[in-house]
Amino acid sequence: MRIRRTDRIFTPRIYLLMGGMVVAFLVLEVSLWRLQVAKVAQFESKQQVQSLRRVRLPGIRGKIYDRNGLCLADNRPVYSIALFLEEVRRAGPWSRTIDHAMDVIGRVAKVTGLTPVMNRDGIWKHIRLRLPLPLVLWRDIGPQAMARLSEQGHDIPGVDIYTEATRVYPYSPYTSHLLGYVGRADPDTMNEEKNYSFYLPEMAGRAGLEKVFDVFLRGEAGGRLMQIDVTGYRHGELAHQAPKSGGDLRLTLDMEVQLLAHKALGGHRGAVVVLDPNNGDVLAMLSAPGFDANRFVPYINTADWDLLNKDPAKPLLNRAVAGVYPPGSTFKPLVGLAAATLNPAAIHTVYDSPAVFQIGQRVVHTTGHGEVDMREALKFSANVYFFKTALACGPDPILQQTLSVGLGKKTDVEVDFEQSGIVPDKKWQKENRVGWSDGDTCNLAIGQGYMAVTPIQMAMVTATIANGGYLYSPRVVQAHRLPGETEYVDELVRRVGKMNWSEAAVVAVRNGMHDVIMEKNGTGRRAAVEGLDFAGKTGTAEYGVKEEGAKHTWMIAFAPFDNPQYAVAILVEDGDSGGATVGPCMKVLMEGLYEKMKREGRLT
Amino acid sequence: MSRSLLRFDWVMFSAIAVLLVLSGLFIYSADYRNDHAVGGLMGRQLVWALIGLGCYGAAAFLDYRKLNSSHWWIYLAGLISLVLVLFIGMSVYGAHRWFSFGGITVQPSEFAKLAVIFTLAAWLGDPATDVERFKTFVLAFVLAGVPFLLIALEPDLGSAMVLLPIVILLLFCAGVPLRPLLTLMGLGVVALLILIAWLLFFPESCPLEDYQKSRILVYLNIHQDPLGAGWNKLQSQIAVGSGGWFGKGYLKGTQNILGFLPRTVAPTDFIYSVVSEETGFAGSSLLLVLYTTVVMRCMHAAVLARDTFGRLLAAGIGVLIFSHVFVNIAMTIGLMPITGVPLPLMSYGGTFMVTIMTALGLVQSVYLRRRI
Repeated sequence: MRIRRTDRIFTPRIYLLMGGMVVAFLVLEVSLWRLQVAKVAQFESKQQVQSLRRVRLPGIRGKIYDRNGLCLADNRPVYSIALFLEEVRRAGPWSRTIDHAMDVIGRVAKVTGLTPVMNRDGIWKHIRLRLPLPLVLWRDIGPQAMARLSEQGHDIPGVDIYTEATRVYPYSPYTSHLLGYVGRADPDTMNEEKNYSFYLPEMAGRAGLEKVFDVFLRGEAGGRLMQIDVTGYRHGELAHQAPKSGGDLRLTLDMEVQLLAHKALGGHRGAVVVLDPNNGDVLAMLSAPGFDANRFVPYINTADWDLLNKDPAKPLLNRAVAGVYPPGSTFKPLVGLAAATLNPAAIHTVYDSPAVFQIGQRVVHTTGHGEVDMREALKFSANVYFFKTALACGPDPILQQTLSVGLGKKTDVEVDFEQSGIVPDKKWQKENRVGWSDGDTCNLAIGQGYMAVTPIQMAMVTATIANGGYLYSPRVVQAHRLPGETEYVDELVRRVGKMNWSEAAVVAVRNGMHDVIMEKNGTGRRAAVEGLDFAGKTGTAEYGVKEEGAKHTWMIAFAPFDNPQYAVAILVEDGDSGGATVGPCMKVLMEGLYEKMKREGRLT
Repeated sequence: MSRSLLRFDWVMFSAIAVLLVLSGLFIYSADYRNDHAVGGLMGRQLVWALIGLGCYGAAAFLDYRKLNSSHWWIYLAGLISLVLVLFIGMSVYGAHRWFSFGGITVQPSEFAKLAVIFTLAAWLGDPATDVERFKTFVLAFVLAGVPFLLIALEPDLGSAMVLLPIVILLLFCAGVPLRPLLTLMGLGVVALLILIAWLLFFPESCPLEDYQKSRILVYLNIHQDPLGAGWNKLQSQIAVGSGGWFGKGYLKGTQNILGFLPRTVAPTDFIYSVVSEETGFAGSSLLLVLYTTVVMRCMHAAVLARDTFGRLLAAGIGVLIFSHVFVNIAMTIGLMPITGVPLPLMSYGGTFMVTIMTALGLVQSVYLRRRI
């Protein structure tokens, strides 16, 4: 064993080290004394131990404006009375603290004249779920109650007025599907520690643009730390961190057009989408019936929620992007374009279009129109003409055109819950084990059968026909403004492709759609507006069991004819026919748009 | 055996026993919420304390001198465990600090610190090692430097830093010439000042992690972020400060019970602030006295040790415990930046408990075999 006996000469070094350690511990002891004894004495008469009140200052959520700067989603301050539970904490089981809290609530109620709304269960729930946050006793109190509490409530421990911002939607029933709504962000109970180090913002987007752009709109919470004693006296502020604003959004939406769309729908259940065919801007996106998004802030009560959720009219559904319907005859312009692109002669091919037509074993009864070409067939919406056209070219070119114009997939508009609809192409047929017959081809030709689209998809198709074949992804957000900036940054216009339609085919289809509106015997004549030259197409789509005769009714249109600035799709659920039900709606909308264009000098 | 029991250091053992009892009580308090302790941490800690006592007894009655020849093996085992943890360790927030064996986590850096002390003590205590030579001085730093780098790589710089006072003070006790030691410490101070200047003026290019930067800046009171990185420091200071003379009473600390002290750190790194809030100046001073007793008895064992190996072993362990206690308490009361250094015998954590108890057992072993 190689071991050296202790060198006595180095023993003083160890004593020196011991001395150093003792000194170090003494430094700690003196610091402790200063922190625990001397500083407490600083607050002279207060023998009570102070605690810390943490007031959170929620981030200021960014606003949402329409294209003309009209504010669609705004913030408003709300004053609430809150109880800071740690200050009324009693030793022992929580039930004792709750007793005390109820006592305090009673005193506040007496001073302010408010009726208590918080009960024992509510306090329990708060203790379990949101202990670190103040317990809100009354939300959105009036100025009277506020004045009384600040005058007479000094000696009530643990109670304070608590300010938060709430969201308001001034145009709510008309914007609620698009904007969505916010709800109170609950602290993440699973990840408790984060809540203590970082304040969660008060509001979180729950639906619509509020949800999609939540991260961008959300501000960053700040906070204040105050030292107070048990009587509620504030000894001072230890820290203050100002909350930060979120970014703002400017939408492509034009509130004037949106309100026109609401007027046009006139109480019908359905949807309106108005696009700018030159860039895909969504100028209006309306779904009816609507709901008041303000009722969701900060949270909706169960009864109201059930009422909305169980309403057979489905007010929560954003029909403009999530409503899926057969397109009916509004699909015919696409059939014409597909046939004419495949075979240019199809434009001038004349088919007899009788009232009775036999497909295989099946006999179809429809309206007869005699010998018609493509332009006339569109004007009259002649079914048999399109049966024959589709049978001549086969279903594949039509399905292919349908896919390339963007049906059967989401338009990627920034709104949530968008549906893709159905295009019964080869892949779909295989997945759904559907055998394809001539009957199916004829159904496809008139937008019936398996086809299903959303109103925004039809508006996009209309815009593409209006601008001669350019495909734009619809966009809702025109520009965003970063927190603290004054200038907006423009979003990109999203042109995604160009259709291979021949010029002649586009002209023929557009002319046909022109006649639908402008000719005395067009199916859409009821939409005609004195002085405005425009084009459109009606559609009446049967659904469900044939005997019940349930129909969704459509109209698409673009205006003005020569220089399209608006592309519109209107859907009315359970109407009579496209011309009779939706025609007058389209008329109201077009009248308004005509006035707007005249006023803004946009008619050449 | 009865002679052994008479020679046993009962003063130190009593201090340890009291600390272990307090540890159980205040871990229960830190874990306490909604009328009961939620995590059952106290039970687990008591099991670890019992295992620790077993190790303590085993180490105390084992003749430490018999371990002398195997010090290189102990050192190698420490290194291997540190290398392995980097590769097969459990990843928590991107740090690889723990092994996980069926629910039990083991932190090899704690064992490694003891291994370094053991090896340095044995090596410096070897008659063949000439402590007067500069080579010895350099080699000692290399021996401690390798585990230092491995622990810093985990990354756990706070744990690694504890090795620094250990190696310096061991060399001091072993009798190396004072001049190189003092030069080195001077250089260290200069390096620290450079680092702080770097942080202040060129924060972008500084190689530290963001959280380390913000902790240092918060400590220097330059970067005020009371709701972010400064939160724990401020909360801990308030918890300690609100204790007053005698505290708010057991299980009544509002900072602690209401969770202002983050619940994940209250039973571990911030256990001292729980004790301080609930028992006040009286309780926190008592704790400090107990630690002073333990550390001083270690150094006393070093003075009386029969041989240099025993002396350096006891002194090294004394320094280890002193460093942990000092850094932890200084951090709790805001005198030092926040580093994840636990409080020996009090903080919740199995590996650390077993390591410290084994170390104290070794000191007892040195004391039992003292000169007089």
